[in-house]
Amino acid sequence: MCPKKTSSMGLFRKTGQWLSMMGRVFRNEWKLVLGDMGVLLFFVALPLAYPVAYTLVYNPEVVDNIRIAVVDNSRTKESRELVRTVDATPALEVYDYASDLGEAKKMMAETKVYGVLEIPADYARKLGRGEQVHVPFYADMSLLLRFRSEMGALTDVQIQMGKEIMPVTIDETPLSALAAGRELSLPVKSDSYFLGDTEQGFASFVIPGIIILILQQSLVLGVCLIGGTSRERRRRDPQGLDPKAVNEAGPWATIWGKTLCYTVFYIPFVLYLTRIVPEMFSLPHYGSPVQYLLFLLPLLLSSSFLGLTLVYFMKERESAFIIVVFTSVIFLFLSGLTWPRYAMSRFWVWMSDIVPATWGIEGFISINNNGATLAEESTDYIALWILSAVYMFTAAWVCRKIAVSSRLRALSKKESGE
Amino acid sequence: MAGLRREFRRMGKSRAYLFGMIFVPVLVAVTFLSLLGEGLPRRVPTTVVDLDHTPLSRSVVRTLNSNEMIDLVGEAESYDAALAQVRRGESFGFFVIPANFEKDALSLRTPTLSYYTNMTYFVPGTLAFKGFKTIAVTVSGGVVKTALQDLGVSDQAMAGLLQPVSIDNYELGNPWMNYSIYLTPSFAIGAFALMILLMTVYSITMEIKDGTSPGWLRTCGGHLPTALLSKMLPHTAIYVATGTLLLWLLFGYAHFPSHGSLLWLWIGMVLFVIANQAFALTIVCLLPNPRLSFSICALFGVLTFSFAGFSFPVESMYGGVGVFSWLAPTRYLFLIYINNALNGYSVWFVRWWFVALLAFPAVAALATLRLKKALEHPVYVP
Repeated sequence: MCPKKTSSMGLFRKTGQWLSMMGRVFRNEWKLVLGDMGVLLFFVALPLAYPVAYTLVYNPEVVDNIRIAVVDNSRTKESRELVRTVDATPALEVYDYASDLGEAKKMMAETKVYGVLEIPADYARKLGRGEQVHVPFYADMSLLLRFRSEMGALTDVQIQMGKEIMPVTIDETPLSALAAGRELSLPVKSDSYFLGDTEQGFASFVIPGIIILILQQSLVLGVCLIGGTSRERRRRDPQGLDPKAVNEAGPWATIWGKTLCYTVFYIPFVLYLTRIVPEMFSLPHYGSPVQYLLFLLPLLLSSSFLGLTLVYFMKERESAFIIVVFTSVIFLFLSGLTWPRYAMSRFWVWMSDIVPATWGIEGFISINNNGATLAEESTDYIALWILSAVYMFTAAWVCRKIAVSSRLRALSKKESGE
Repeated sequence: MAGLRREFRRMGKSRAYLFGMIFVPVLVAVTFLSLLGEGLPRRVPTTVVDLDHTPLSRSVVRTLNSNEMIDLVGEAESYDAALAQVRRGESFGFFVIPANFEKDALSLRTPTLSYYTNMTYFVPGTLAFKGFKTIAVTVSGGVVKTALQDLGVSDQAMAGLLQPVSIDNYELGNPWMNYSIYLTPSFAIGAFALMILLMTVYSITMEIKDGTSPGWLRTCGGHLPTALLSKMLPHTAIYVATGTLLLWLLFGYAHFPSHGSLLWLWIGMVLFVIANQAFALTIVCLLPNPRLSFSICALFGVLTFSFAGFSFPVESMYGGVGVFSWLAPTRYLFLIYINNALNGYSVWFVRWWFVALLAFPAVAALATLRLKKALEHPVYVP
């Protein structure tokens, strides 16, 4: 009975010591974060300013009034009617008439117009005969978003022209006798519905995902900056210790103390990013806050541990900029937000699997835009917890490794110096 | 000369230079080339909800199956089940065939086919929408056709009746609608610009941080222009080599279409390298402090991906935001690329973008007037 009691008492005391050590790291980390302008830039300014900057770029949402040129070889009442219909679409704006394709092409090269509609000479004649008439549209493909708007508008024009012309054609042919008493409208209708981003706006599509990437990247950058700076201090220290760190703390107490500090620090920014930013710019947010806040907890943990792992590569303070900043671009694409994951090769799916933001974005936008529940996003949620666990171990390893190797280097320096 | 030797020694000592100047730009280009693969993510996973189960509805399902845009991954029993699959990310849209579809269609009671696409994911959502729309039109047309054939209307008259005006699209320069042709070069040059900015800031501010900048000036006889040139020209050479490799990767290895002159694109790339170095130098001169100049360059470099108009056109942005795009050298190389290489317009039409790239070193030359004092008395604020 007695030995068991002491061992359990020992365990109890040990846990207590560990917790108090972690508490010291936690308090110390606050001082480090608040005392470093560079870190505050990443932890505060970046999450506050970036989403606003991004949304301002994309907030016009849709591409409209794309300038196009018209080559009207028909020059009839009917062809002018077509041009008016095209001009009336929100997406297209008839910038000018060109006398022939050559002139139109020059207008394209001068980027005055981004498309050319060429109405054939027999346009009115064919319509009058009740034949189908083909109208070529030459699209500038320098931006797919522009092309997408053009296509949508032209399809609508086609349908509208059909609606206007069909009854006339029927009346003018013997068909009218046959069709008498019958409804000759399309016997099957179709309706389309857009889920999530109902307006098909660009900001509404990209910002909810970017928000998550900003959370991960700002956290990783700040953590790496703190880590790189600490390693510079260790290199200068005669004993290889960081005078500003809690050097007595073991790796586990250190990484947990730090991570808890960052997580608590980030709570207001998470609320700002997920609640206020979408409200400010009326972006889609249908999900329940409880669901996505719970969902984001392991995202913060795994990002923090990932950052603490990457400190391995931070030889100096500025390394954070060189090594981490560019990864945002790759991570954005790996997340599947802009490029669907089903179209990626096995290798890239694996690569994207190890980035917390991939799961974070996928789960968050499902909850936020499509109103999914946490249970429906269980795969993403579990993946985030697994990543948290994996990066927790690597972070602890890196933490120990840096402490040991800088101590050893200091020792060997001392010996060679003496 | 002594300045050049000094700079090469410095670069040899730190692996950061190799990493930032060559490895990262090439890595990003290769990543995008490999990641985007064929350039159009066809076969979007979708589902169908067939509430009718008649020969006509089955033929609709078969049509869905044969569409090149979509990949029918399964049939859902109900609207709710299909929606749940969308939420779980298993499909990007679904097509609903209503109950009594066949009966209503054949008795001209106008049933409605509906289709739902998840626009939360822009590209697959758009592609699924396109596929569904085609099918809806085909199905509708097919039914009308049967009805009209019964009335004895000829095929020719039918086309004129159903779709009197057919607008045919010719996608100039990119008939495959290959996304990689846009995204890979734009993101490769965007990342290249970002790294040039950061590495230039790094190379200069490290001298201030380590307090070696007075020594650097002394090596070059106290002459600031010589000191700057001897530091930056070796970098220019390395960047041009990296840039040439990038162009080869895109146009040589990946066979991206080039309808213009690659030589001019290469010249544009050289000017782009210099413009980015000059941009970073300007920032360092204005703020000779590693933290601020790094932060500004990182912020600017990352935001460039957005406001350079790779995906969202600049003319659709708010004026106050669009203005920033003209501050980025990336914007000019991007315009040279799409207008000259992709669209094949003559270099004459992009001449001003070359001039614009030349303006960056001119501005930097003015800004360096401030730098000498900072280098002589280096103050490092972490």
